Amino acid sequence: MAFFAAVSMVVLMFFLLLADRLEAPFSDVSNPFPLRLPAAVGFLRGPVWLAMFASLFVGVAAARTRYRRSRGVERLQMLWLGYAVTLVPLGVVGFLLGGALFGAGNDAVVPFLLAMEAAVALAVGVAVTRYQLYEIDWLINRTLVYGVLSASLGLLYGVVSLASGVVVGRGSTWATALAVLVVAVAFRPLQGRTQAGVDWRFDRRRYEGLRRVRVFVEEVRDGRREPEDVGAVLASVLRDPSAELFFRLPATDSYTDRFGVVAEPIGAGGTLTRIERRGQEIGLLRHSRVLLERPDLLRSVLAAASLAIEISRLRVGVRLQLAEVEQSRARVVQAGYEERLRLERDLHDGAQQRLVALGIVLRRLQRSLPREAKLLGPALDSAVDEVGRVIDDLRTIAAGVRPPRLDEGLAAALADLARGSPIPVELEATTDRLPDQLEAAAYFVVCEAVTNSVKHGAASRLRVEAKLMNQTLRLLVADDGVGGASPSNGTGLLGLTDRVRAQGGTLRIVSPPGRGTRIEAELPCGS
Amino acid sequence: MRIVIAEDAVLLREGLAGLLEDDGHDVVARVGDAEALVAVVEEHEPDLAVVDVRMPPDYSDEGMRAAATIRREYPGTAVLVLSQHVETRHALELVSSGGGFGYLLKHRVLDVDDFLDAARRVSDGGSALDPEVVATLVAPRSRQEALAELTPRELEVLGLMAEGLSNAAIAKRLWLTARTVETHVRSILGKLDLSLSGDDHRRVRAVLAYLQASGV
Repeated sequence: MAFFAAVSMVVLMFFLLLADRLEAPFSDVSNPFPLRLPAAVGFLRGPVWLAMFASLFVGVAAARTRYRRSRGVERLQMLWLGYAVTLVPLGVVGFLLGGALFGAGNDAVVPFLLAMEAAVALAVGVAVTRYQLYEIDWLINRTLVYGVLSASLGLLYGVVSLASGVVVGRGSTWATALAVLVVAVAFRPLQGRTQAGVDWRFDRRRYEGLRRVRVFVEEVRDGRREPEDVGAVLASVLRDPSAELFFRLPATDSYTDRFGVVAEPIGAGGTLTRIERRGQEIGLLRHSRVLLERPDLLRSVLAAASLAIEISRLRVGVRLQLAEVEQSRARVVQAGYEERLRLERDLHDGAQQRLVALGIVLRRLQRSLPREAKLLGPALDSAVDEVGRVIDDLRTIAAGVRPPRLDEGLAAALADLARGSPIPVELEATTDRLPDQLEAAAYFVVCEAVTNSVKHGAASRLRVEAKLMNQTLRLLVADDGVGGASPSNGTGLLGLTDRVRAQGGTLRIVSPPGRGTRIEAELPCGS
Repeated sequence: MRIVIAEDAVLLREGLAGLLEDDGHDVVARVGDAEALVAVVEEHEPDLAVVDVRMPPDYSDEGMRAAATIRREYPGTAVLVLSQHVETRHALELVSSGGGFGYLLKHRVLDVDDFLDAARRVSDGGSALDPEVVATLVAPRSRQEALAELTPRELEVLGLMAEGLSNAAIAKRLWLTARTVETHVRSILGKLDLSLSGDDHRRVRAVLAYLQASGV
């Protein structure tokens, strides 16, 4: 086919050049060549012109065939060439039609033909240098849209001005004004429809893809789908099951998957495309290289999905930060328990032992005194008593820091707590052993709740429960006091919330004024 | 009495040794950890080992475990465990398991006479249980109905019985006559429905068993 096109072109050139007279607008120029065709073959003029037109379309067909056989970059190159060679016959036909309809002179053909040649040269240039190679889809799409749009608007203008001309009289400025108005009003909707129509007709995949992404975004807005599903939607729309979306975490350099698991995006057999929104990177899409041939598809689908991606990454970011804060709170609370343990050990093993040793020294001194030293005996007695009182103080402090009986389990520690309470405590506690940290947490939760009841609740009776049910430690501290307790009035209950939440548990405070306070906490045991 | 001392705080160890020596006892070895303790018990076969609960390397309950080992493998050696703080479970187990065992808080040492009494009592096959441990057993809040029937004085006597004191020692401690104490003891045993005779240690075990059963 290409061969036919080339031959017919050459024959035509030959024919034209050696003709008696050139075609308008070059009719003034006489044939510069010494050779002339005999006038007898003049009847061939018409058929040769036709053959030339045919050859233009044959060229398009040839380009189309090669385009179908090619792949990858070559395919894009062929698209560029095809674009250029299609423009030529379409342009010529359009020009001729326009000339016939509006009676434009043949003079207009020169710049038009020059532009056409420039377009062909440019297209070949792009195809060879591969610069902006990937923009061809976009270019074809735009050419189609604006070609069709111009034709439709021209038609509309013609019809309206003709119709209104009949009413208000031919040549009236009103008719022109009305036609301009109608065209102006029709422009935007017509453009949208034309774009959709062209997309649907010539790029079904993009049209369908965009439609599905838009439907998805609608569903996200209505709360029917999670924005994090956007990755799966993209993979399906782009027909690339291996596609994976990574969200760029706000204010960091790291990426996560939809579950907030930090991931290192790597090409892994595909390639990565950066997704931006208002100049800021919001994610990366890993996809098959095949999609690189459709950059317009990728770009428009990602742009349509960018809102969902942005929402997802913010949600993932917030969830991660929340988890981080909870972990950090758990660490702080845990560090608190460890610090208490260390302090308690220090008090018992350090200061207390030294005081006992000091007391022993005094006692030995006292016992070694001769019987005559009657004054020193009582003095040493009171000194040892004082040492004993300091030891008692120390033990009270140490027990407050962390009751050593926690070593024996929650029940033992709570029993001590109940024994030390100034108001009667009814205690029911599990004797099962639990992880140290959980026992400490449970102890201090109960301790703080009891302290709260004693201090602020004006209670006369307390009930404390610590029961193990279904891998959950249920704590209850109930009093018959004045009620009205809330985490917002006083720090005691707020610290309690922290302790419970640090264990991943839940806290419920029921304290109606005048009807006692009931504090319930559930701490999960399994880890 | 021939005594070994296991205590990692040197100041305290020397103080204890001095107190015991002042009282006429023979401190045959002083060590700083549980392993060395078992070795010197093996070597000297002392009458009594005074043992700190927390010792190197882990500072947890090495002394308590060594005490159990000694009671099991060297019946001739009694053990008096000293602790910085109350720990009832092991103490009760060991005191209830047989005579020749004592558990006291360290600062009881400052009541020198009571401490020396306890040391003697334990090495004679009796028991010594710190008043604070006993208090956890007879505490008002954990009391059963039967205990509620006891008079305050009887509760006091019951506590001293649990500490391992004999009637005579109780009488001395409470400034009572031996006959009054005997009356109290009979009344207590009657109210608690415990029938006992003679042996002080069997009495301790029975009382402790009763108190433990009534719930710590």
